[in-house]
This record gives sequence, structure tokens and C-alpha cells, in this order.
Amino acid sequence: MVRSRATALREVFSTHTILGIFAVICILPVLYTLATSFKPLGEVRSNPPLFFPTTWTLQPYNQVITSNLIRYHIPNSLINSLGSSVLTVIVAGLAGYAFSRYKFRGSGALQLTILGLMMIPGLTNLIPIYKIASDLGLLASSPHGLMIAIYTAGGLPFSIWIIKSFFDAIPFEIEEAALIDGCSPVQALYYIVVPLAGPGLLAGFLLMFVDTWNEFLAAVLLLNRETDKVATVGLYAFQNSFEIQYNVWMAACIVIMIPVVVLFLVMRRTFFQAMLQGALKG
Amino acid sequence: MATNTIPTRTAVTAARSIRSGGRSSGRATKFLPFWLLLPAILILLAVQVYPTLYSLWLSVNRIKGGELIFVGLQNFDTLFKDLNFGRSLNRTFTFAALYLVFTVGIGLLLAVLLNRRVKFTGFYLVLIFIPWVISDVVAGTIWRWMFQQSYGILQYWLQPLSDRSLLVNPTTAMGIVVAGSVWRALAFTTILFLGALQTVPVEVVESAAMDGAGGWQSFLRISFPIIRPTFLVAVLLTSIRAINSVGMILSIMGTTGGAGNATMTTALYMLNSVMRDGNLGQAAATSVILFAFNLVLTFIYLRLATRRDTV
Repeated sequence: MVRSRATALREVFSTHTILGIFAVICILPVLYTLATSFKPLGEVRSNPPLFFPTTWTLQPYNQVITSNLIRYHIPNSLINSLGSSVLTVIVAGLAGYAFSRYKFRGSGALQLTILGLMMIPGLTNLIPIYKIASDLGLLASSPHGLMIAIYTAGGLPFSIWIIKSFFDAIPFEIEEAALIDGCSPVQALYYIVVPLAGPGLLAGFLLMFVDTWNEFLAAVLLLNRETDKVATVGLYAFQNSFEIQYNVWMAACIVIMIPVVVLFLVMRRTFFQAMLQGALKG
Repeated sequence: MATNTIPTRTAVTAARSIRSGGRSSGRATKFLPFWLLLPAILILLAVQVYPTLYSLWLSVNRIKGGELIFVGLQNFDTLFKDLNFGRSLNRTFTFAALYLVFTVGIGLLLAVLLNRRVKFTGFYLVLIFIPWVISDVVAGTIWRWMFQQSYGILQYWLQPLSDRSLLVNPTTAMGIVVAGSVWRALAFTTILFLGALQTVPVEVVESAAMDGAGGWQSFLRISFPIIRPTFLVAVLLTSIRAINSVGMILSIMGTTGGAGNATMTTALYMLNSVMRDGNLGQAAATSVILFAFNLVLTFIYLRLATRRDTV
């Protein structure tokens, strides 16, 4: 190597410094939230503010656990997010597979059209859906079905695109061998491709789950009944009932974060591997 | 991290040629792609395409007592005469420009650093991804709390700059909203760029360094042209997200956008048309205008993306 040891060391050092600074910026607000959620109300209102509590208390969490957030909103979020993520991965998986493995007339144009749907602002669709859904009474009769349909349709274009590129990264020879050995295309898809594409499909699932768990606009616009609301909308409503009790508010934030953060930490290896290898290569 | 082998271009092309030549047998196979695509197409037609067309129709109507009354371009006329709408467009452009520059710029910087494959890369990546996992509303609530007038910790740390809450001043309010949004969006551009940078052959970069090319020079001459398609995709997705984003702005600053409507962007203006005024026609007209901006961006993107292919 031409570069001297000293330059290399300096490069490693500066890399760690900059990455470290940004990592701290990313995690510090979350740690502050966690710290605040264990403070008694008096310490929330201390001036100058303290980062960590001097006396730790679980009282804010007690208030969250007895609220509608736990009783209705988080279970609703779970149903909507799981339902739409599973449905999207299945439907986008079938479509992505067709685009990746078959040549047929109009394939390119159809892919471009589906990608083009990503350019439609979320609100553009929500206004008519709001009207149609209230005309048909869907808000009252099947709130979960409605939200799952909206999320699935919203997530499909991106999911098809990304899952197709995961399929593209799997060599076709493996399936070809299975087909020659007498597998039907559907059997090949089920026994060969799905296991191989597993990491990619899981990554697609995680992307969808995070997006739908965090979705706010459609939910706040469409869900009016307290028993139908989801976690993000419930938290937004906290602003009114707990305006000054920031410790309760932050405890609610932590409770809402837990499912996605845990899911992300469990799946992170598979997720990063799929995102870095298969997808998004132009 | 990467343990599996990445299929090379040639392998993929070889597979494609087998596929197109070797499998035209059977009627079932012929229609298989159609059946595979059918569920996606049906869902998209019903819940994406139809509502969008309906939205175009709503934008030239007014709703009275549940009935649509055709009013032509009146909704658009009202919008363009409303000073608040014009101001909201300005704010959207300010927000989008700042958000784009920082999200793409910092994301690229972090990706380049992570691509040096120093120790703890995976650890840094996980920490950078935590804000992305958190919802807009949760993140907005946290940022609002950090800048709270008397008890917020960032407000306290930044006290030398301003005694009053930075959320009250229109300029700093916009700054906080941008900072919070960038904070949450950073992970996505980082992973996009990192994925692209990993396709840059290490040998080429090393031999350029042997020939005396500096870090910047080798990045601009070798790495950047290779990741250019990803760069364009990232710019497009980020700017569209910027134009349409509401959740973060709403939960930091409230529905009115704070003092002097400092952060009342066009998307928020549209949400107010629906939720406060119940004026669906006007909201639809606003959404059509936002859609038009997205189309222009996409058009520019396609021009830039295809120009590269012909070079």
C-alpha cells in the first residue's frame, strides 16, 4: 500500500468519531425519552432540566397501562399492521415473482405504471376514500378491513419493486433444475424460491410493518371511535389529556416504540443482509 | 455481514436467457404470470387508481349535503387567491429543500464511512436505524418535549442562543421540524447508499489510490458514477416524501403550524381543509396540485436516469 500507517490510523479514528457523533445524535433523544418516562412529575418540571431522574418511579407507566392506549389502540395497531404486512408480502411476492421470472408483453410498462403509483400523495387517495367509506358506512362496520385495504394498496408498489429485486438476486438455475426434475412452477415457487427468498420477504415484511405501525394520516382521518383508534392517533390525543404530564406522555411513547423496536432488533441481521445484497441496485 | 455470494451480472443474464428460451411449454405456464399478478392489480385498481381518479373529479366539484355539484375550476381559483395557500407552498419548498439536502447529504456521508468497514459498523447501523423505526408522531412528541419552554433539555442546552422557546420563533421552528424529520429519515438513505457503495469494486478504488487519486477524487470519479442511479432514486423518494409529509410537522407544531403558522406546509393546509373546514373539493384540488409537483419531479428524474443509459 502507498498510504502510510499513520494516515490509515487517522482515517480509522476520524471514521469512528463522525459515526460515533451521529450514532449519539440518533440515540440520545430516545434515551432522554426513556429517562423522562421514569421521572415523577415534580422532576419533569425541574429547572434546570435533568437528563436522568433522581428518584425512579413506575407511576407514569401505571397511568399508561390503565389508559385506552393499552386497552384498544395498541391491539388495533397490531391487527392493522400484521394484517396489511402479511397480505402485502404475499400479494407483492406473487407479483414480484412474476415480474422477475417471466417475460411477457407489457411487463415493463406495467412495472413502470405500478412504480408511478408511488408518486401519488397519500392524501390524494385518502380524501375520496374518506367520502366513499363514510357513504358506504365502512368506518363503522369494518374499520380493520378498511385500514388493511388502504395500507396494503399503499404499500404494494414499493413492496413489489423491492421484492422483485430480491428475486432477481436469486439465480434462476436452481429453480430450473427443480422444474427439469418434474416440479410444477407452483411447487418450485413454494419449495425452492420462497425459502431462498426468505430473508428478502422478511425484509419486505419489516419495511411494511414499520410503515403501517407508524402510519398516522389515514388513521387520524378515518378512525373516529375511541375503540377503533390506533396507537399513533391515541398518542396524539394524549396531547390534550396529559398536556403537562410529559412523563406519562414519554412512557406512552416508549410503550408504542417497544413492538417495532423489538421486531427490528430481532430481524436486524436478516434485514440488513437483504437490503444490502439483493435490493435497490438501480 | 455479506456471507452469501452475490450473483454476478453474467449469471443473471444467463438465467434470463434460459428462461426466455426454455420454457414455453404448457397452457398453465403461459397464463401463470397473469394469475400471479391478478391480486396485486385488483387491489391497486380498487384502492389506488379509482380513488385517484375520483380525487381528480372531486377537485372540480363542491360537496353540499353529500351531493356533488360541478363547479369547474372554482376550487383552484379560490386556492390561488388565498394568500395562506401561497405561503404554504413557500414553506413546503423551504422544508423540502432543507430536508432533501440534509437527508441525502448526511446519508451519503454515513454510508461512505460505514463502507470503510471499520469495527462496530453493525452497531452504528443499528443505532442510526432506531429513529427510523419510531413513528412520526412519537418522534414529533419527543422533539416537542426536548424544546419545551422551561423544561425541555435541548431548549436548556441551547439557552445561550435564545431565552424563549425555539418553537415560538418561526425560523427556528422550521429548523426544528427539519432537524426532527431528517433525524428520522436518515437511516433509509444511508442503507440505500451503503447497498450501492458495496457494489463498487474494491480493487478499482485501491488501484486508483495507488495512482495517487485522493479520497474525494476517487469518490467523485469512480464511486459516484456507479451509485448515481441509486442517488437519483434516493433524491426522488426523499423529495416526494418531503412534499407529502405531515405527521412529524403536525405533532411538533400542531395543526396550525405554530406561531405565525410557521410550519403550515401545503400538506398540512390540505389536512386542515378536510378536518377543520370539511371542504373536500378544495382539499382534492390541493392534492391535485401536490400530485402535479410529484409528477414534475418524477419526469425530471426519468430524464436524468435515462440520459445516463444512453451515454
